[in-house]
Amino acid sequence: MPGGIAFEFPQLFFTAFWVTIQLSIFGLLSALIIGTVVAVMRVSPVAPLRWIGAAYVEFFRNTPLVVQLFFLFLGLPLIGFRFSTDTFEHIFRGAAIGMGLYHGAYVAEVVRGGLLGVDRGQIEAARSLGLSYPQMLRYVQLPQTFRSVIPPLGNIGIALVKNTSLASTIGVTELLFAAEIVESRTFRAQEAFMAAALLYLSLTIPLGIAVNTLERRMLVAR
Amino acid sequence: MRPETWPMFLEPAIWGFFFEGLRATIYLALVTVALSCVVGLLFALGRLSRRRWIRWPSIFYIEAVRALPVLLLIVYFGIKGSALFQPIFGADFELPTFWAGVLGLSMYTSAVLAEIIRAGIVSLPRGQTEAARALGLSHAQTMRSVILPQALRLMVPAVMAQLTTVIKDTSLVGTIGIFELLRQGRTIYTQFFNPVEVLLIVATIYFVICFSLSQASRRLELGYVPKAARIKIQDIALRDQAA
Repeated sequence: MPGGIAFEFPQLFFTAFWVTIQLSIFGLLSALIIGTVVAVMRVSPVAPLRWIGAAYVEFFRNTPLVVQLFFLFLGLPLIGFRFSTDTFEHIFRGAAIGMGLYHGAYVAEVVRGGLLGVDRGQIEAARSLGLSYPQMLRYVQLPQTFRSVIPPLGNIGIALVKNTSLASTIGVTELLFAAEIVESRTFRAQEAFMAAALLYLSLTIPLGIAVNTLERRMLVAR
Repeated sequence: MRPETWPMFLEPAIWGFFFEGLRATIYLALVTVALSCVVGLLFALGRLSRRRWIRWPSIFYIEAVRALPVLLLIVYFGIKGSALFQPIFGADFELPTFWAGVLGLSMYTSAVLAEIIRAGIVSLPRGQTEAARALGLSHAQTMRSVILPQALRLMVPAVMAQLTTVIKDTSLVGTIGIFELLRQGRTIYTQFFNPVEVLLIVATIYFVICFSLSQASRRLELGYVPKAARIKIQDIALRDQAA
């Protein structure tokens, strides 16, 4: 049976699988928070905020995630920030933050598109009814973007699950790392990587189907 | 930041070292994209084929490979690449790490490009195919001289955007021992213990290349692109560019 090796080393494979899932969830949560904040900055009426937001998005989208992870893991401790090294918990936290920073830039672009898609008349109406700018964002502009933004956010989520594999380069024992450990112990590369691949597919394929179904349903609704 | 660690970057030897890595990175990315365009086109046509025994394997390949992490493919070919080719080239064949990296990167990129090419073909108005068929062209002729020339033109910006993703992904092949830009940087900072400075320089080099490429691909407009095609291609781009 392909991937049967996972049951010979359940401790390694399934613990690592759980780490991958946790890293995806924490990474996605921080990406959503960072992305929403940056998106709001990018459409704000204050010009310097818009510039900072744009610089953030362009920088994090146009540099490789591994470089960012290495910087969190090796660079920051040298300039005095020690939250992402030394213990496993710390490295995991650093990796989750790295995922959030990188994918947050993509989330920001999607949410910004949603925010700009809201009819200008609605914003003007809310402002003339006496809502402050933050109130208008909170009650009028942001709630309307959530619907249109979900399918593209799902696509970013799929990319994030795949990208958690890069955390193995800084020593987080997630799925790919587990496969490499098993491979170096048993020399059964074919089976070990097949098991890891199947476990990754068990996360990404259902997510992909869910995103496609949502997309189609929203097309019909429109 | 420690100011006394920067002067070493005034030496041309260090920059020669970075430049060597940069050359490997660009070479890897170009070979990968060229190979993936060909393989991707084949799988896109396979997915649109009317014969089930061609269509189903193509769908399976595209969907499965797109849903896998690139790093997994790269590490797999890094470890197992030689053994895969030994039945063809003899028992003492060693796959050079460069080609193991190209193989891993291309496998993934070809699946992505297949989807982009398919989106380009499907978004052309049906009238184009119908008119060509009505004029007596065969299915293959229609594809070659009517559909593909138009669809490929639509996709040039998307392929350029994918090139930036490939350049970012080449930073992963350092794990199997190809000395590209990031790996060269790692060699420098393990020697001099200055990861902050080196990683900032490496990130800046990647940024300059990827930023100018993505700006260029955004500006590039080759004729009229239907709105549906643009949205579809952007969606694919979103899922696969982050990877």
